[in-house]
Amino acid sequence: MEPVHFQKLYDDFRLGRIDRRTFLKASGLGLAAAVIAACTPGSSAKPTEAAGGGEPTAADWSPPSGVDLGKTLYITTWPNYHNPRTIEIFTELTGVAVELNPLGSNEEMLAKLLIGGTGWDVLVPTNYTFETYGSKGLLEPLNMSMLPHLDTSRYDQKLLANAEYPAGSKTLFGFNKDWGTTGFTYNKKHVTKPMATWKDFFDLAQTDYSGKVVIHDYQLTSIGNALVYHGYSFNSVDEAELAKAEELLLAVKPHLFAITSDYQPPMRAEDAWVAMTWTNDGAQLHADIPDIEYVIGSDGGEIWSDFYAVVAGTAHREAAYAFLDFMAVPKVQAFDATFHKAPLVDSAGIALQSEEVRSNKITYPDASSLTKLEFGTAELLTNQARADLWARFKSA
Amino acid sequence: MVRSGARRWRSRIATALLLLPAATWYALLLLVPLVILVVFSFGGRAPEGGYLPDFTFANYLELPTRATAFVNALWMALGGTVLCLLVGFPLAYYLATRAGSQRTLLLVLVVVPFWTSFLIRTYAWLTILGNNGIPSLLEDLGFGHIVLLNTPFAVLLGIVYNYLPLMVFPLYVSLERLDKRLLEASKDLGAGRWATFRQVTLPLSSAGVLSGVILVFIPIMGEYIIPALLGGGKVFFIGNALVDLFLQSRNWPFGSAAAIVLILVILTAVTIYLRVGSRGSGSREVSLL
Amino acid sequence: MPSPPDSTSRDVSADVELIDVTKRFGSVTAVDHVALQIERGSFYSLLGPSGCGKTTTLRMIAGFEQPTSGEILIAGVPVAGVPPYRRNVNTVFQHYALFPHMDVARNVGYGLRQVGVTRDEEQRRVGEALDLVRLSGYDRRRTWELSGGQQQRVALARALVNRPTVLLLDEPLGALDLKLRKEMQLELKGLQQELGITFVYVTHDQDEALTMSDVIVVMRDGRVQQQGSPEALYERPVNRFVAGFIGQSNTIAGRLSGLDLDGGMASVETPTGLVLNGRITDHGARPSIGDEAIVAIRPERLEIAPGTPSPTAGWTSVAGRIHQETYLGDQTEYRLATDLGQLVARRAHHGHAETTTVRSGESISVRWPDDANLVLVA
Repeated sequence: MEPVHFQKLYDDFRLGRIDRRTFLKASGLGLAAAVIAACTPGSSAKPTEAAGGGEPTAADWSPPSGVDLGKTLYITTWPNYHNPRTIEIFTELTGVAVELNPLGSNEEMLAKLLIGGTGWDVLVPTNYTFETYGSKGLLEPLNMSMLPHLDTSRYDQKLLANAEYPAGSKTLFGFNKDWGTTGFTYNKKHVTKPMATWKDFFDLAQTDYSGKVVIHDYQLTSIGNALVYHGYSFNSVDEAELAKAEELLLAVKPHLFAITSDYQPPMRAEDAWVAMTWTNDGAQLHADIPDIEYVIGSDGGEIWSDFYAVVAGTAHREAAYAFLDFMAVPKVQAFDATFHKAPLVDSAGIALQSEEVRSNKITYPDASSLTKLEFGTAELLTNQARADLWARFKSA
Repeated sequence: MVRSGARRWRSRIATALLLLPAATWYALLLLVPLVILVVFSFGGRAPEGGYLPDFTFANYLELPTRATAFVNALWMALGGTVLCLLVGFPLAYYLATRAGSQRTLLLVLVVVPFWTSFLIRTYAWLTILGNNGIPSLLEDLGFGHIVLLNTPFAVLLGIVYNYLPLMVFPLYVSLERLDKRLLEASKDLGAGRWATFRQVTLPLSSAGVLSGVILVFIPIMGEYIIPALLGGGKVFFIGNALVDLFLQSRNWPFGSAAAIVLILVILTAVTIYLRVGSRGSGSREVSLL
Repeated sequence: MPSPPDSTSRDVSADVELIDVTKRFGSVTAVDHVALQIERGSFYSLLGPSGCGKTTTLRMIAGFEQPTSGEILIAGVPVAGVPPYRRNVNTVFQHYALFPHMDVARNVGYGLRQVGVTRDEEQRRVGEALDLVRLSGYDRRRTWELSGGQQQRVALARALVNRPTVLLLDEPLGALDLKLRKEMQLELKGLQQELGITFVYVTHDQDEALTMSDVIVVMRDGRVQQQGSPEALYERPVNRFVAGFIGQSNTIAGRLSGLDLDGGMASVETPTGLVLNGRITDHGARPSIGDEAIVAIRPERLEIAPGTPSPTAGWTSVAGRIHQETYLGDQTEYRLATDLGQLVARRAHHGHAETTTVRSGESISVRWPDDANLVLVA
């Protein structure tokens, strides 16, 4: 294969345009591809047909007339989070080529925004970032006149309010893409002990499932869930409570299979049996490998929501708003969710999802299971004690 | 006199102009960042992360908390370098002396992996070393359940795999340049294979060994992708600590201090090695480095 | 060391013996059924143009190559499969092959260190060897600081210090200028006589071989053409190649018209009808009347005189003209156009007062005695 061709494939893969398996097959990465094909159940990248959904067309949305949208749009987001076909349709309808740039964490996103000169246009930040981004002027308040398809009245107001800055001001810096929880997945084939809480998770990680457990490479969730283990708040920044969490994490560390936010591959390959997991990944894994179950810790944990937002000073404002407006169309949201499998916020979008999706208990869990969950606070993103704790833990 | 003086000036100006791009390049991309790093390392962390002007030694005083990461990187760099040398020397020797008409083909094969992205090559190992790769093969062969991925072994393997060509090429060049008649002379004078290797081949290829070792050792010290991918975040190098400090916890001053110490550690290691290397071998080429 | 069963029957005065040795590299035969007996204490030269197999022969004796077939004996013992470092034979290489990372003394002591002599002994013998090649006081010099002649001497000392049974020299003077080469030739010969070691010397330079050798082996295309003393080779070359390679010859082609095999004499008739009588150089040859043959005459045997030839019994005379005259210092060379084609004559100058009696373009007669006619039948 030509190196150039390979590089193109690799870029497609890295940017989330094609999935891992397609990439390995197409690139002919011999042994890797063979092993994957032979041993790994299919990745969830194939969108399942959605009733009342189907692919959006020009009838569902068309770009604003008489506006020059430009040629390109840079979207900074998370891995496995957009249906490649949704992006293609947007490009077909507008002529705007989209570059997806998946990052590892909100902290990385903030770090790069602080450095500046990113050239990014659209972000997919999480609820707890708006206070920092708003105060630093890193995002621009949404210009509602440029978002004719966005109807926030259909949104869960509690979830939507996260994007207000200052809080309670009704000035929105974003609207919800989807929401979810931070729980864990386990593979029933290997995990026989009951696992329902973060206490189970961290205890069994040190005993029965030593060497088979993955936690996020993310201070916010890993420290938060270690705090929940001790019965503290997910959001605690109390010195003594953090010390207890650090103690637990250090005790668990030698028993971990990995500290990584890219936990789908080891779960699929059964290198790992248990992994700290976000809803969308849990739903994707379960859809492909029914033995993998997703659990929301009954002792607590995180509930979150991701947003579409426009970067302050974007060079492609027209295209950025066109993209946001496109993603505000319920049919587009429903179609996109067939890929990422996270729950939607827009009630019209949910209404267009198939009965199968709406009754999926991973995507839409019972309200009772969410009662103990907490939204991450803005403080978590910038708290130095937590950042230092995490850096210490990793280099220990 | 006047004319030759003018000509000398013109030639000096021409030299300066030709060196200007390189000098600008180094100033902008090496010196300026280095100065910034030094300044930052005495500063403080801004509330949301980043840099806050200050003058404190706190960052340096906190460095012992990263000792493990330094020690990990140092041991892995030493181990990786020695392994690369042990694997690379026979290969380079074979290529330089025995390969014959296959030589070009074999040299190309050594480089072929470099045509693909470093990340991809390392990613491929993730699958090979994972549960369904070599471990399942070993299990089928009756070796029991062996975990390879996310161990120091996997990281070392990734290091040797990725850095081997950087070791092989300088070795190849020095061995290829080695006058084969000297080996015959040695044998003629009663030295067997090993004695000839020890007394002639090795000292005369020491320049290649030296550049290979330096080419491999320095980047391994700063490595972070291989430990991140094949070490699962558990085999932690100082390079990973730096990535975390700059991109996750956004503690730029502490990161700067760690980076400065890393640079000093590498400089020290290289200086010691060059001293020892140039003393050990009487070869002329060493002084050229 | 085990002796071969038939070693007693061999001539043990031969230091090196090659028995029907052939060496092939792929489809190329470099050495073709060569048999040699190299006498102990002799200066033995392998002479021939490049590609004749002389260096390959030397390398087989040294142990760098193994014969494809045949057998090599050193001091009466077969050495098949014995690596170079276990043969009591040392080589002086064409480009010296001195170790650049060692000084002169360490180069010379290299072989001694391999057999583990004491440091004192090494120092003493290195000193002696350097004395021998007149390089005392150069111990600590770097080899690349030395002149070509000095490097040559170091290489010699490095080989001799091991007291080898046989010293092999592979065109050792090839890289030196003419004057230095002449000096070194005498020095080498002197050394060989002083030490009494067998030297096997490879060269393509006939002068060098003639100056130094006790025995010269002329090789061509992997085969031995002739071996013998320098005089024998010069006086009785067995074929046209040897005649041309050793010294200069005038050659006249013809057919055998008379034969006296017992007396070793023959008559050769040229196409022009001239009959030349002479000695058949190859005693083993059994030619017949009518066979093609060549008569070789050394240039210094031709006598030139002004005027026309007058036939004399026991002499051959032909008419000719001086085509070109070249002054060579101690002698003058004449190129002559004659009925027999171009001939070369050489006349030595005897004293400063000699006057040249013939000039370019002048008609002359050329003559030579019958005993100057060398009849080559191969």
